[in-house]
Amino acid sequence: MMENAWIIPLFPLFSFLFLLLFGRKMKESSAYIGMMLTFVSLLYSLLVLFDRFTAPTYKAEATWLTIGDVQLTAGYEVNQLNALMLVIVSLVSFLVHMYSKGYMHGDERFPIFYAYLGLFTFAMLGLVISPNLLQLYFFWELVGLGSFLLIGFYFFKEEAKQAAKKAFIMTRIGDVGLLIGMILLFWQVGSFEYDEIFKAVSAGDISAGMITLTSLFIFVGAVGKSGQFPLHTWLPDAMEGPTPVSALIHAATMVAAGVYLVAAMFPLFSASDTAMLTVAVIGGFTAIFAASIGLVQKDIKRVLAYSTVSQLGYMMLALGSAGYAAGVFHLMTHAFFKALLFLAAGSVIHAVHTQNIEEMGGLWKKMRITGPLFLIGTLAISGVPFFSGFFSKDEILIATWEHGNFGLFWLALIAAFFTAFYMFRLFFMVFTGESKSNHSNTHESPGIMTIPMIVLGILAVISGYVNTPWFGTFLGDWLTEGNEALGHGHIEGPAWIMIAATAVSLAGILLAYLVYGKRSVSRDFLGGEASTMHSILYNKYFIDEIYQFTIVSITKAISLFLSFIDRFVVEGLIYAVTGVIRRLGKTGSAFQTGQVQQYGMAAFLGLAILLVIFVLTGGYIL
Amino acid sequence: MSSFILPSLIFSPLLGVVILFFLSKNQEKAIKIVGFLATLPSLLLSLFLYVQYKAGTELSDFAIKEAWFTFGNLKQYDPKLFAVDFELALDGFSLVMVILTAVLSTLAAIASIHIKKEWKGYFILFLILQVGMLGVFTSQNLILFFIFFEITLIPMFFLIGKWGYLEKEKAAYSFLIYNGLGSAILLIVIMVLFARTGTSNIEALRYIMTVGGVSLIAPISGVMKYALLIALLVAFGIKLPIFPLHTWMLRVHVQAPPSIVMLHAGVLLKIGAFGLIRFGMGIFPQEFQKIAIYLAILGVINLLYGAFLALIQTDFKMVLAYSSISHMGIVLIGVGALNEAGIQGAIFQVVSHGLIAALLFFLVGVMYERVQTSSIDRLGGLAKIMPLTSGFLLAAGMASLGMPGMSGFVSEFMAFLGLFKEEPVLAGIGAIGIILTAVYLLRAVLGITFGTAKQPVPLPAEKSDIRAIEMAPVLVLLLLIVLIGVFPSILSGPLQGAVEAIMIGIGG
Repeated sequence: MMENAWIIPLFPLFSFLFLLLFGRKMKESSAYIGMMLTFVSLLYSLLVLFDRFTAPTYKAEATWLTIGDVQLTAGYEVNQLNALMLVIVSLVSFLVHMYSKGYMHGDERFPIFYAYLGLFTFAMLGLVISPNLLQLYFFWELVGLGSFLLIGFYFFKEEAKQAAKKAFIMTRIGDVGLLIGMILLFWQVGSFEYDEIFKAVSAGDISAGMITLTSLFIFVGAVGKSGQFPLHTWLPDAMEGPTPVSALIHAATMVAAGVYLVAAMFPLFSASDTAMLTVAVIGGFTAIFAASIGLVQKDIKRVLAYSTVSQLGYMMLALGSAGYAAGVFHLMTHAFFKALLFLAAGSVIHAVHTQNIEEMGGLWKKMRITGPLFLIGTLAISGVPFFSGFFSKDEILIATWEHGNFGLFWLALIAAFFTAFYMFRLFFMVFTGESKSNHSNTHESPGIMTIPMIVLGILAVISGYVNTPWFGTFLGDWLTEGNEALGHGHIEGPAWIMIAATAVSLAGILLAYLVYGKRSVSRDFLGGEASTMHSILYNKYFIDEIYQFTIVSITKAISLFLSFIDRFVVEGLIYAVTGVIRRLGKTGSAFQTGQVQQYGMAAFLGLAILLVIFVLTGGYIL
Repeated sequence: MSSFILPSLIFSPLLGVVILFFLSKNQEKAIKIVGFLATLPSLLLSLFLYVQYKAGTELSDFAIKEAWFTFGNLKQYDPKLFAVDFELALDGFSLVMVILTAVLSTLAAIASIHIKKEWKGYFILFLILQVGMLGVFTSQNLILFFIFFEITLIPMFFLIGKWGYLEKEKAAYSFLIYNGLGSAILLIVIMVLFARTGTSNIEALRYIMTVGGVSLIAPISGVMKYALLIALLVAFGIKLPIFPLHTWMLRVHVQAPPSIVMLHAGVLLKIGAFGLIRFGMGIFPQEFQKIAIYLAILGVINLLYGAFLALIQTDFKMVLAYSSISHMGIVLIGVGALNEAGIQGAIFQVVSHGLIAALLFFLVGVMYERVQTSSIDRLGGLAKIMPLTSGFLLAAGMASLGMPGMSGFVSEFMAFLGLFKEEPVLAGIGAIGIILTAVYLLRAVLGITFGTAKQPVPLPAEKSDIRAIEMAPVLVLLLLIVLIGVFPSILSGPLQGAVEAIMIGIGG
């Protein structure tokens, strides 16, 4: 199966091209094309995964471009990480394809939506089977294109336009970092291949400083894509896209690409302590930073978006703390429960036609399927025992502690408390209490939407059991098998960490219940909406405004300054030159007196000068 | 048989000129069809050459060389002295340029359906322009090159001045003055070389300058070589254009009719790059090596300067004009890197930008036909009424900002790959340009197509989207852009030999 893994991304590509050409005629039956083709990809990915359990890594390549005597290659590779990612991506993509059939029903540009989904899925699958950095970058950008197109799907909305533009530009800032990093690495190693790079690293062919420099540049790319501080601001805005897109791209798959990149380049990162520490600090800081913003947001999708940023921070923290398996494990569980949460949120939005949680309430009784599923997702992300997020978060905390990042450990623990609190705040405000809208016809979503949610709900519960300290760390062991550089599949840690994690998550839930469920504690127990703290959090620490006043303004100022130069200095210079020539011409014409003696004199003088030059130089100047 | 191919390829458009003479000037349709058909023989022959090349035929088989004229009566000393032959030939680089020219000429002829008046004069000039462009890339001596180079100037001047927009006269004069100046400088260089070596053959000059050991009429000192090289840089720098010699080109981009800008941005600017690589690098490799770093710096300046200015333009055509300056910076960056990756990247960028700029300007033409403006401030929400045009515009914008899978990425990547090897810090500064490119292109393209209409513009009636005939050039260009982006080896194959030859000259 693995020999033919290259075909997996081609199904969605075909879906994209086909729907682009014939979508107009297909109307809403486009969905079946998309669903069918991604389903084939999913089946194939599963087969490849099972194949990979027993067979070694498979890799095949061909020359893509020759530069001098260097051959740049393109190809595909199936190792443990890739095989796992293939399944996650194609599974979530298929479920989203299915769900969208209901969610996007009636949209004028329905086929285009499915075409874009195909493009994105193609790019994402291509990304995860790339065997070298150049090819990864190629798909990395295409993934960004897919994301951009889908964020801007409602192109006529000003917010969607701005959000799409912002997402593209912010991630591109990161991408340039990645580009620089990989080119620098290329001139060190002479290849973009992962294998070659790791070989050079372990052989000590690259200086320590260069390893740190290149891994930091590459990390900039990951920061952009995975919405890590300080390039995180595009991700919450990306919620302007249709909700299924938020589930697929901005929760489960694309934003995890940054984490995937760090994981794929792990042997490079782990060779530099500075790089590892940077990854851990950025991750840990982002985790608590985004969680704190999530505490006060009122838009259901934005709360989820900040929780995504925060959870991605956890994954980075894990990788930066040498917890390779923990990071990838959380990537997987998060993909399932966050996709579930987004799809459930979409179901809610579909029913009540608002995203403001202040206007929701009492939906538990009306949405008998969405409600419990949302609760499962909330329990999973909050790290409540027996749900998937509990196990993966625990691995991360242990890795952080054991790696000696004690400060970051405590931050992560506080962030876990925040997470439980704001997620249950969301749950109680949406599903309990009085119904605030006068939508009498609020109803449960159709089966085509609830079935994908049920599948994800099941996965959100059980997917944690592939890697538990109780029954065995199968996933971690398998992921790190045969590769020393990736560390141990499971890191043993003190038992109290698990208890502490459980305690903070339950405390968060309890507090949320008291404030928003039972309402026995005032919502303003910490100062309320008038307080400065609330204002800072609600405005996301004014990061957008800071960027506006610094980077954007400076860029504009430079542009205006150069425009001034262009208009006055460059053009002015030209006027000066033409002016001088005109002056010369005028002076020359003054000699046109009509007196023959004067002409003769001029001619004679000229000849004399020429003769002198000829005698002195032998006829040739220089 | 093969000796006929190159002359027919270059001069076949003249056949169209002859036929046009016999048409009455009111037969709009016939004129347009003849004009279009007259571009086809060159296209077919150039594709034939590519197929032949792929099949393993040596490109030198197609070279022709006929005695043409001599200066002075020096035959008794050496028959070659001061003799100018009529000699045409191809290598991989010129083959690529010829195909680019032929393809864009045909597409620009289709784009000429938007021309509103005096079609006869227009197409006569258009076809002469095509002859000039094709000749430039195949000439084997400097004098012949110069003649073809001049042939492109005159039709261009009239095409801008007569069929352009509001300020067309000013643009035309500006074009003529700058390019005339460039030609004059070029002529001086050619004459000095010719007078001192007795030949204008490019191969011979390359040999004399790099290998030496040939007795010359008069020696060329080291200082003189630098002077000649710098003069060449100025002459071709105006064409490319290099900052601060660029202002004329902005006017041409904005004022000339879109079909002509397709050729201007697509091919004529590229003569600057072609000359820089072929003559600057080819004839003066040692000296070129010394000044390469300055070219790279100029490249970065071009890239950033163009990008920053494109950022605040309110007319889409101005955005594209500054974007051309910015993208030509990539050519300079690649050339300045002076290694395989850089040079190959520069040539890729020449081709890639040729296709992308042509596509963008064609779409501007399509849009302008319908809404009578290209102002970003006034337009908005075009995706609603013109979904296909808007989609193509977005695709073209993506190509221009270097989206992988499209040709712009490959060239940008290689040029930077080259420069990072030689001057990582400079390249790092230049990389900011990659971000800015995305910013200004998205600002412009989204400003026009996304959102809602900002000001009432003369909105086209229903069913005003791009027509089938207009779709043909778009699809051809997009296909080529994607083809090169996904399979760059179709382009790097023919270029390999040319790049290697340059590298040998440099001694690398």
